Amino acid sequence: MATTRRARWTRALRTPVGLAASGFLAVVVLLVVLAPLVWGERAEVVDTGNLLQGSSAAHLFGTDSLGRDIGYRVLVATRLSVGMALLATVIGVGTGLLVGAAPVVLGRRTGRLVTGAVNVAVAFPALLLALFFATIFGVGARGAVLAVGLATAPSFARLTQTMVASVADRDFVSAARIAGVSRIRLLVRHVLPNIAEPLVVNATIGAGGALLAFSGLSFLGLGVQAPAYDWGRLLEEGLGRVYIHPEAAVAPAVALVVVGLAFNLVGETIAKGMSPRATVGRTAGAPHPPGPRTATGPRRLEPAGSTLLEVEDLHVAFPFAGGWATPVRGVSLAIRPGESVGMLGESGSGKSLTALAIARLLEAPASVRARRLTFQGTDLLTADPRTERELLGASFGMVFQDPMTSFNPTRPVGRQLAEVSQQHQGLTRGAAWARAVDRLREVRVPSAARRARQYPHEFSGGMLQRAMIGMGLMGAPALIVADEPTTALDTTVQREVLALLARIRAEEGLALLLISHDVTVVRDVCDRVLVMYAGRIVEELPTDRLGEARHPYTRALLDAVPDLETSRDRPLAVVPGRPVSPDALPAGCAFAARCPLATERCRTDDPVLADAGPGQRVACWQTGENLGLPAFPAATSRAATP
Amino acid sequence: MSELRFEGVSVTHGWGRRAVRAVESVDLVVPSGTVLGLVGESGSGKSTLARAAVGLLPLSAGRITLDGDPLVGRAGHASRRDLQMVFQDPYSSLDPRMTVGESVSEALRRGTVRGAQARRAEVARLLELVDLDPGRMDALPEELSGGQRQRVALARALAAQPRTVLADEITSALDVSVQARVLNLVRDLNRQLGLGMLFISHNLAVVRYVSDLVAVMYAGRIVEQGPAEQVFGFPRHPYTRTLLDAVPGRGELADAVPVVALSEPVDPHDPPTGCRFHPSCPVGPLLRPERTECLTRDPLEVVWQREHRAACHFSAPAVPASQEGLHR
Repeated sequence: MATTRRARWTRALRTPVGLAASGFLAVVVLLVVLAPLVWGERAEVVDTGNLLQGSSAAHLFGTDSLGRDIGYRVLVATRLSVGMALLATVIGVGTGLLVGAAPVVLGRRTGRLVTGAVNVAVAFPALLLALFFATIFGVGARGAVLAVGLATAPSFARLTQTMVASVADRDFVSAARIAGVSRIRLLVRHVLPNIAEPLVVNATIGAGGALLAFSGLSFLGLGVQAPAYDWGRLLEEGLGRVYIHPEAAVAPAVALVVVGLAFNLVGETIAKGMSPRATVGRTAGAPHPPGPRTATGPRRLEPAGSTLLEVEDLHVAFPFAGGWATPVRGVSLAIRPGESVGMLGESGSGKSLTALAIARLLEAPASVRARRLTFQGTDLLTADPRTERELLGASFGMVFQDPMTSFNPTRPVGRQLAEVSQQHQGLTRGAAWARAVDRLREVRVPSAARRARQYPHEFSGGMLQRAMIGMGLMGAPALIVADEPTTALDTTVQREVLALLARIRAEEGLALLLISHDVTVVRDVCDRVLVMYAGRIVEELPTDRLGEARHPYTRALLDAVPDLETSRDRPLAVVPGRPVSPDALPAGCAFAARCPLATERCRTDDPVLADAGPGQRVACWQTGENLGLPAFPAATSRAATP
Repeated sequence: MSELRFEGVSVTHGWGRRAVRAVESVDLVVPSGTVLGLVGESGSGKSTLARAAVGLLPLSAGRITLDGDPLVGRAGHASRRDLQMVFQDPYSSLDPRMTVGESVSEALRRGTVRGAQARRAEVARLLELVDLDPGRMDALPEELSGGQRQRVALARALAAQPRTVLADEITSALDVSVQARVLNLVRDLNRQLGLGMLFISHNLAVVRYVSDLVAVMYAGRIVEQGPAEQVFGFPRHPYTRTLLDAVPGRGELADAVPVVALSEPVDPHDPPTGCRFHPSCPVGPLLRPERTECLTRDPLEVVWQREHRAACHFSAPAVPASQEGLHR
């Protein structure tokens, strides 16, 4: 833990921002500590012979009205200027944090009162508050610090409140509360650490702001009073003769800018060091991701010609930490017109990426390569973007998992459907609208004409998913790709949507590629199943022969899902271990490490998809020999008596 | 012994005219050492009921007791710790800035384990109990998979030595192979530690696998409850039958579920009169106009004192589910 935390900080400090921040910070700290000691006296030396001089060898930035050296004065003023800014920030952030976090500790009713008070305070402009407090606390450095500090407090309180509220609703805070953790500890251990990152950034930005505010106050004569001086006073003194000797005003101005910048950079670095999600330095990757193999690609089962969609040796890669991660590696599939194909796999198996790659929805930095990718006879790999868009727009429908995020919430549902036809079939607005209503009726949305004018939030989830399918039907689609179309829906609604897909497929002669993690869903709807693991199709078989699955992974998937007939007295079968990560693929079979049948060959040679019976293909070395064995021993019970 | 009992529990969101009764007059008992499965669709009030039990939401009526001691209200932390909850999303239920060990250790009861060494040993024992390598104690949640996180969340719940655990959709965010592991664990904890559980899920097959008793919730109410094999084998409420018929892999898909399909979910601001299920009911007034009783009279007013209860005026006699289709 300590090492990872240290590593994170080291990494944060090694970035250009981190390096610059530590450099600036060192200079500012040195000046704050040493400048008054070293140059303090020289900055006070009055030289009546050299009043209001410009830059010279003796005085680099000239002299002021008493002949004092402006360069030294700027350096010495660092302590007061930075000190006041930091002090005011501490006051502002401290007060803001206390008030903003109070509702967590105080409980519902009192908390609401505090929130209300903060909301009222935020309504006053900070400048007005600063002037108000400056008048109350009196002119001078002390008054200015209190004024600026308190004036920034309400906005910090508001910020803290908003962030606290967003964290306090998370489950881990609820869990801690249920576990009996006290409110104070809840705040200190769970809430504050999780909002610290943006708070620190805002506090340092606030410090920069305070620096400017003091300069402004001193400039107006409300801040630091003579004989004390800060950058604001120096700026004011120099500004009068900016046309004769600009260097007198430039010196404090540069100091202000540099320190303000330093504050922000330091904030950025601290935030980076505190974040547990360490950013991986994305170095320039290897020039080319692994692509299709030319020599020994998997053989296709179906002859070309009668196919609607043909994919051969599809690879999808993303740049990752100096190399490429390939979540999809060599997928080949063919879909005939009117056919219903299921793609089964767990999260991370590459099934959704395969669908997105087929729909040409993946953009840089993703790299999509294939030996062949044709849809209705058109080669999508070489087609120009216009042809591709027209073809996919008209004959290809895509249904996503979450219908709520797939629609634009600010436009009526019917309008969004109509847009498809206006874009792709060149229909007029009116004709497109009529078709939208007709399609909504087709997917059994009740009172479609009225519903078309409603917004997505007025639809239930199931109804919206129907509308999404309706959108896929706006053209004359030949293929609908549905990516987990029912996962976000209730069981009753799920059944309706699946039934709808099945009916539409039958009536309109569509082909369907249904992607799901749920065997039972695929079994209900599809003729043929493709099982994916670690970016590969490991088994392909007709749905009615799922019971004769040969790949150990397919069998494990089937055994792991309880249904209404599963014995309640036996533990469910489990797959030991974790899926491989697409950036660290083993040499042999990707499933070998988790497979009870794995041999030495499996760990060195990657099996290819080979014929294994009528309509069945398997990528496994062990299928033939061990078909009769139970694939996975049921997990032994681990729980012990306390 | 630990009996979790809900008596006439109602939970209301909001005030005045905009108030929504998310849970209404729920009577439910989770007997000691048993798993009660609570099923229903999203928005039916399952999670609200669980959150109210652990004190995250205030009750507007009724009371929740554990072995006769009221849980919510004046009772302090001590008794509230006897009831722990595991949440649905393993990615938000662990503090991303605390190690696995810190998260679990925090939930240990004060005074039971003294000293850093003993605490680590206890945390290791708990991780072992949920089938996790104690060597991962110093890992951050981001280094764990969803299934491992969910097991850490279970270990944290067990750390408080609860008498009953509420599990709110704990497997629905997991992959199927990982789900099997968590379900096996739930079974083991129940059978070997005698841990009582309220197991909430929308997945009927999962609920059937782990539960001894089952309650079905619809629009904030319990519409049917009874022993698992009874409710799944001989469902009495038409809503339960609808749910069972909707389980994937049960018979032909027909796009002709006429009533239920086209009806909207219940608007919680304006619940239907009488039986709340009547606008969707396949045996109700929509298809059988003579059954006006459903429009006016709340079946919950009629209380059964049977083991297997269903809140329906026309609850079916005991006929196996397979013979009892939706369209009678």
